[in-house]
Amino acid sequence: MSDPWIELNIGPQHPSMHGVLRLKAKLDGEIIKELEPVIGYLHRNAEKLCEMGYYCDNLVYFDRMDYVGAMNMEVGYLEAAEKILGVPPPDRAKWIRVIIAELSRIAAHLVWAGAYGLDLGMLTPFFYCFAEREKILTIFTEACGSRQETNYMSIGGVYQDFNDKIIEEIKDFLATFPKKLEEIYNLYVKNDVFLSRTKGIGVLSKEVAISYGVTGPMLRASGVEYDVRKAEPYLFYDKVNFEIPISHKGDNLARFLVRFEEMRQSLKIIKQGLEKLPEGPYFNPKAKKSMMIRMRGEGEYYARTESSKGEFGVYIVADGGVKPYRVRVRSPTFKNLSILPVLSKDVMLADMIAISGSIDLVFGEIDR
Amino acid sequence: MSILQWIYGVLSFLGHDIGYALAYIIESIILVIFVSVMLIFMIYLFRKYMARVQQRIGPNRVGKFGSLQLIADALKLMGKEIIFPKERDDLPYKVAPFIVFFGLVLAFAFLPYGNLSIFGNLTVTYSDVSIIFIFAILAIMPIGEVLAGIGSHNKYALMGALRTVAKDVSFEVPMMLSVLAIVVMASARTPTSLSLESVVTTEILPYGILEPIGLLVFFIAMVARASYSPFDMGESDSELVSGYSTEYTGMRFALFYIGLFGTIFLGSLLIALLYIGGFNGPFSSQVGFIWLIVKGLILVLISFTIWLSMPRIRIDRLVNTGWKYLLPISFINLVLAGVLTLGLGW
Repeated sequence: MSDPWIELNIGPQHPSMHGVLRLKAKLDGEIIKELEPVIGYLHRNAEKLCEMGYYCDNLVYFDRMDYVGAMNMEVGYLEAAEKILGVPPPDRAKWIRVIIAELSRIAAHLVWAGAYGLDLGMLTPFFYCFAEREKILTIFTEACGSRQETNYMSIGGVYQDFNDKIIEEIKDFLATFPKKLEEIYNLYVKNDVFLSRTKGIGVLSKEVAISYGVTGPMLRASGVEYDVRKAEPYLFYDKVNFEIPISHKGDNLARFLVRFEEMRQSLKIIKQGLEKLPEGPYFNPKAKKSMMIRMRGEGEYYARTESSKGEFGVYIVADGGVKPYRVRVRSPTFKNLSILPVLSKDVMLADMIAISGSIDLVFGEIDR
Repeated sequence: MSILQWIYGVLSFLGHDIGYALAYIIESIILVIFVSVMLIFMIYLFRKYMARVQQRIGPNRVGKFGSLQLIADALKLMGKEIIFPKERDDLPYKVAPFIVFFGLVLAFAFLPYGNLSIFGNLTVTYSDVSIIFIFAILAIMPIGEVLAGIGSHNKYALMGALRTVAKDVSFEVPMMLSVLAIVVMASARTPTSLSLESVVTTEILPYGILEPIGLLVFFIAMVARASYSPFDMGESDSELVSGYSTEYTGMRFALFYIGLFGTIFLGSLLIALLYIGGFNGPFSSQVGFIWLIVKGLILVLISFTIWLSMPRIRIDRLVNTGWKYLLPISFINLVLAGVLTLGLGW
C-alpha cells in the first residue's frame, strides 16, 4: 500500500523559510498531515570554535548567532564569561548594555514584523520596518563602527563609551519611533485579510508551550508571564520599570501583538536607561586590552538572558586556562521551532507558513 | 472612418485587395506595438509607484529617471541561459507562456478604443459579439497557466496550477453574470447589445452608477483574474516559491510576468468601458481614446494600491468568497438589471 499523500520538500532554498530551514511535509491536497523540520544547513560549529579562542575572541561567534539582534547575544555570552573571569563591568557599562540590548531587541522585532508581512504576501510593511531598523543600525554604527555583527561589548565593559552624538541620536529615535511604530502596527491590524490569516490560527496552549520548552514572546502570547528580565534580573533590569506583555489567546495574532507591545516596553526601558546613565569608567580596568588574552577563569557558570526570541542560555565550563573548556548554548529558537510540527498538524499549507513566520526563526541561532 | 480606412486611404494606390490586406497587417503591428509600449510603461509605473508607496526611490540608474530600466531588464532576460527542467512535459511546457501572451494581445484587438482626432476611430476589429469574444479569450489564458504547471513536472508548479484553476473557476461565473447584467440593460437601447462598442456608445449614464453591485463584483473578479494580492494564488510566492512559473527562466518567464501586468491593464480597460463610460466624456468625438486610457490608468493605480497593501487570502476563503458571496450577489444584480430594464424601462 503506497502512501496516498503528496510529499513536498519545502526548503532549504525557499522564499519563506527565513534562511535555511527545510521542512519535509506530507500533504493531503493543501492540508498538511505530517511535518518534519530538518535543520543543520547553517551549522558553523560555533560552540566548538569557542573552545579554541580566548574569552575575548569568542564574542564574535555570538554576534553571528542571532544576527538580527546581535547585541542580545553579546549580553548573554558576557553574563557568563565575566562571572567566570571575575571582571564585572562598571555601572556605566551595564547601563549602556541595557540601552543597546533593548535597541537591538527592537531591531530584531522590526525584522520579524517586516518578514511576517512577506510571509503573508504583504510587501509594503517590510520597507517601513527596515527604514526604522536602519536608524537603530546607524546608532550602532556610531557606537562601534559596524551595523550587524557589531562586536560592541567586550569583557569587562564596552568597546567604546557613549558620546554625545549617540545619546542625541537615541533621543531622536525615541522621539520619532513611537509614531512610526503605530503606523506599522496599523498597517497590519487594520487589515481584515491580515486578521483573517492570523486570528485563531496556530493556537498554542499554555501546557503544550511549557512542555516543549517554548520561551520568549511565543510563551508570553500563550499566557505565561515569564521573562528572564523579570524572573532573574541581569544587568540593571531590576532597576527599570517595564511590564511583561502577555496574551491568553496563543494564536498568531497574539504573538504579533505581544511583540509589538514588547517594542513599546523596550522604548520605556531605553528612556529610563538614558536618564539613569551615570558618569564613570566604561570598562573594568582589570580587562585592559593588554590583559585580554591572559585572563584565566575556573569553574562553571550558566547565564540566562532574555533575547528577542526567548530565553538565551550560555553555559561555560572553565578549567583554569585562557580558553574555555566547553561552551554550550541554549538556543531559544531551536526550542520554539520544535513546536512547529505540533501546530502545523492538519492545517493548510498557507497557515503553516503563517505559523512558521510567527515563531520568529533565525537560523544563525538554531544551527550555531 | 476608422483607423483601418485611414491606413487604406494611404495605401489605396495598391488597389482594393492588396491595400486592405496590407492595412490589416499594419494595423495588427500597430496593435502589438501599442500593447507592448503600454505594458512597458505600466511595469515602469508599477515599479515607481511601488517605490513611492514603500518609501524607496525605485529604478533611477538606467536612463533619465530609470526610464530605460525595463528595456535593460528585457535585454537581461533575453541574454539569460534558458534552463529546461529535465522531466518536463515538453509541448505544454514550451507552449504555455505563448498561450498566455497571445491570448492577452488577442483580447486587446477586440476592445473599442474610441476616437483620436484625425485618425478617427481606433478600434481594431469590429464584431457584433465582441463581449463574448473578449471573455472567451480571457478564459483561454488560465489554460496556459495550467499547462505551465502541469508541464513543469514540479510539485510547487502543480499546486500553483491547481490553485489557479480553483480561483478562476470560482470567479469566472460571477464575472460573466455581472457582465450579463450590463448586456441586459443595454438591450433596451441597442439591438447589438453583445457588442462592447454599442454598449458604451448607447449608454445614458455610466453603468457603474446604475449597477454599483455589478461594478464591485466585476472589480473583485478582475483582481482574481489578474492574480495579484490578495488573490495571487497562481504565484503564492511565500508558499509555492513562484507557483506555476517556478520552473521558467528567461523570456518565457518574462511572458508570464508581462501577462500579469497585461491582464491588469486589460481588466482596467474593461472596467472603464463597461462601468465608467469608457471613451465617453467631454469632447469624446475627438479624444475618446485619451479618456479611455486615462480612466484605465487610474484604475490601474487603484489596482496597484490594493496589490501593495494586501496580504494573500487563504485558498479556501478565496473559493468561499467566489461561490458563497459573489455568485449570489451577481445573481441578484442580474435580476435587478432585468427589473430595471423591463419593469421601469431604463
